[in-house]
Amino acid sequence: MARITKEERKQGIITAALQLFSERGFYITTIPDIAQKVGMSVGNFYNYFNSKDVLAKELIIYISEYLGQSIREINEEDISTEQKIHKIVSMYFAMAQEKPEMIEYFLRVYLSNREVFSDGCEGMICVSPFVTEMMIFFNDGVEKNELHNQDFFSAFGLFMGYLGGMVFLFGEKILPEPLDSYKDSISQNIYNALKTRD
Amino acid sequence: MITKQLIEHIEGEASVYFDMDGDKVDFATVVFPHFRGMESILEQKGALDALVLTPRVCGICGHAHLMATVRALEDAYKQAGYEVRLSQKAQIIREFTLVMEMIQNHFKWLYMVIMPELSKLLHTPLANKPLKGAYASSLASKAIALFGGQWPHSSYMVVGGITCDPTHMEILQAKNYLRELIKFFENESLGISLKEFLALKSCKDFQSIDSDISSIEKGLIEANMHQKGFAHDQFLVLGKHQCTHVGKLKHTRIFTVDPKFVSTTDSYAPHEKTYAYNALYKDDYYETGSLARMISTNFPIIKNMHRRYKDSAYSRVMARLFETGVLLQHALELLENIDVTQSSTVEVVNVQNISAKGIGVVEAPRGPLIHEVILKDGIIQNYKIITPTQFNIGSSIPEHPTPVQKAMQHNTKEEAEFIFRTFDVCSVCTTH
Amino acid sequence: MPLKQETKPKLLWLQGVTCNGNTHSFLNLSSIEILLEQFELLYLPAFATQYSYEEILTCKLSCDVLIFEGTYDPLLERGGVLVDKLLQHYAKDAKYIIAAGTCASFGGMFEEVHPERNSGLLFKKAKSVTHFEKYKGKIINLSGCPIHPEWMGYTLEMILQNKEILLDELHRPKELYGYLSHHGCTRNEYFEWKVDAKNFGTKEGCLFYEQGCRAPMTHASCNKILWNEVSSKTRIGTPCFGCTESDFPRKNLFTTKTNMSIPQDIPVGVPKRSYLTMAGIAKTFHIKRLEDKLIDYKTTH
Repeated sequence: MARITKEERKQGIITAALQLFSERGFYITTIPDIAQKVGMSVGNFYNYFNSKDVLAKELIIYISEYLGQSIREINEEDISTEQKIHKIVSMYFAMAQEKPEMIEYFLRVYLSNREVFSDGCEGMICVSPFVTEMMIFFNDGVEKNELHNQDFFSAFGLFMGYLGGMVFLFGEKILPEPLDSYKDSISQNIYNALKTRD
Repeated sequence: MITKQLIEHIEGEASVYFDMDGDKVDFATVVFPHFRGMESILEQKGALDALVLTPRVCGICGHAHLMATVRALEDAYKQAGYEVRLSQKAQIIREFTLVMEMIQNHFKWLYMVIMPELSKLLHTPLANKPLKGAYASSLASKAIALFGGQWPHSSYMVVGGITCDPTHMEILQAKNYLRELIKFFENESLGISLKEFLALKSCKDFQSIDSDISSIEKGLIEANMHQKGFAHDQFLVLGKHQCTHVGKLKHTRIFTVDPKFVSTTDSYAPHEKTYAYNALYKDDYYETGSLARMISTNFPIIKNMHRRYKDSAYSRVMARLFETGVLLQHALELLENIDVTQSSTVEVVNVQNISAKGIGVVEAPRGPLIHEVILKDGIIQNYKIITPTQFNIGSSIPEHPTPVQKAMQHNTKEEAEFIFRTFDVCSVCTTH
Repeated sequence: MPLKQETKPKLLWLQGVTCNGNTHSFLNLSSIEILLEQFELLYLPAFATQYSYEEILTCKLSCDVLIFEGTYDPLLERGGVLVDKLLQHYAKDAKYIIAAGTCASFGGMFEEVHPERNSGLLFKKAKSVTHFEKYKGKIINLSGCPIHPEWMGYTLEMILQNKEILLDELHRPKELYGYLSHHGCTRNEYFEWKVDAKNFGTKEGCLFYEQGCRAPMTHASCNKILWNEVSSKTRIGTPCFGCTESDFPRKNLFTTKTNMSIPQDIPVGVPKRSYLTMAGIAKTFHIKRLEDKLIDYKTTH
């Protein structure tokens, strides 16, 4: 029987924690709950994460890196900015449907419980891998003269606020149509708002 | 008979064509054969770029150009309804670096031009040490660099003030370099203390001293330069600074002036293409520079000198030597008055809001330097530069000679060449 | 019986289209007297030496070290003689050719006057030109607008001592241009923590983000060997304009080009992602000491 590596065990904890937080809520879920789901002792759990707060921060970094890596792959493709927008939207929506616990954690835990993250995740440092990739995306778009130059946060808020809002509505089961059917119109709206003016 | 004389060791290149009548100059014309096109380089550039580009008109008086540019831009702001009020501190520091650059120019001219040229004229070796001028200049440059960051080409003046925010440390260091420079001037050039020099009533009083300046004074008399090199005996000072008195002087009578009466005409140069223009005030030729400034501020010994020797080559040279001392003293006073707690730069609206015309005038070492800029939404539409050499060393027809042409007439060729040098030509400025 | 004379190398300084700034900067070198004594000075623009300009124009002499200041214009004449002719003549026998200043190195300020023909000796901005290609092996570019006097001093001393001068791919001495003008700026802490200067005229703040400072992208040793032995632009609060680089002068100086608030140009060799990650983290933290005034003149404790 192949030995399970430490890294794989850590990954297992992360996946389990995200699922439990999503099912039961952040504050209700306890360390013993997560340890039990993974099949390890509570003592062993603390070898991987010192506390629930440390776990909480590591989770947001994990999600940021995952999102950041996905966006990076799109950034490095030799396609137009308009096409990149469509791919980013598609990727984000796919994640919302296939790994809802990740986006949910970001929206419902990270954004809504700032006190948990105030020490050690100040400002944007824990979401840095994701934000950096969005900066690269915007920078490249302006450099290629496909997006008009404006303040970073105006553009970022438009893009991410829009997507986050749509996923939130999806999570609340308010959207009448499947999430994917909104991909084209949303991508078009984002592109129209950000593209260069004549 | 026409002979051409190439003038060397000036910023850039110039030639004088002498029309000789026997062994005397009947008439001379001046040619500046190069053109660099700074004014067209500036077109369609952002207004602030001019602060970096115009100092590159000239390597020896780049600071004067910088100040003329910033004054022109600030005037454009004023015309557009956004008047800029500089802090006292910014004004003083700007004037300090301008004055130090002037002093630098004077020292270099003294040791690299006048001494060797006078030596040549008299066929006697005056102490010829051009690097003395370089050393003195390097001290002055240090004092400038403490505020401007470097010399040459600092670009430390911006619209609204200056980029530096010095502590008393920089001011004290500047003061020490200045004191060292004054000591150098006293020991190496004057032979007496600066105080005594500035208090002299007549040049006879230091003829007994053995020094560079005293030997220049004696040399000038020996070469009869107190009876030669007369221009029109009218002068112009346009740059407004603490140490200048703006005005136009006809002989000794002073009148008010307005830069709007400055105009340029084509040069008259029948023997070779010239790229310079003559600068006139109300269609007439005026001498600019140290002699003009010293007379207009009523400096006693120069006033007396002018009474006796008018605008001879002697007066012209001695005025510049005395101005060196005056400016050294003035620089010390400026340093005393800097209040470090004042702000260096006031906030101004973005230059993209400015569509207007502005004029900046400064006294550069050789006289008034005028920059005129037309901005539209912060972009330069047109840029015009008029330099002091255009006032002094224009080239015109015999019926209406420029100051240098008048001064060279009726002398031997060697004397005329020396007299030409007493005006200190800056060719790169003139053929911007 | 005459004493055996050591032969001094012959130095000749010629000019193209120039403002003379490099000459005047060089005159500020504190060791200039000792340095020049070790050369036989054929011609210098600033003051009279052995020969008059007219004698130089006859092209009957030769030199060991040729210094050229100013933009190269193949049609420029000085004293009625094509500068190109002078260069081709003196370059032949010279053992070293020094391009003094950015104009002579890359075209610089005055390349724009006649863009169809003006350039530096070896480069027109960043592209090679062929005019003096055959002398490539002996050309040293001392770019800078103007040159720092110590750079000329260094080059001439190295030549006198027969030491090899290591050059970068733009023919600039590595020991001088290997540094960035960013190294040694007294505002480095503000750069580290992304505390940007809000306006000009303050002791505090980094000039990179808004005031267009090119120092992290510029090869020069201005903040290592100070200017005039006392200071530098960035130390006193003027942004570096990148005057040693081939694209000098750039446009829209005094402002930083940003794309969606992201600086277009970042420190040499640093990948954009790395820079943005570090910058993003630094910007998150507000360090009170760095955001306060360096010296509070209002109170004494």
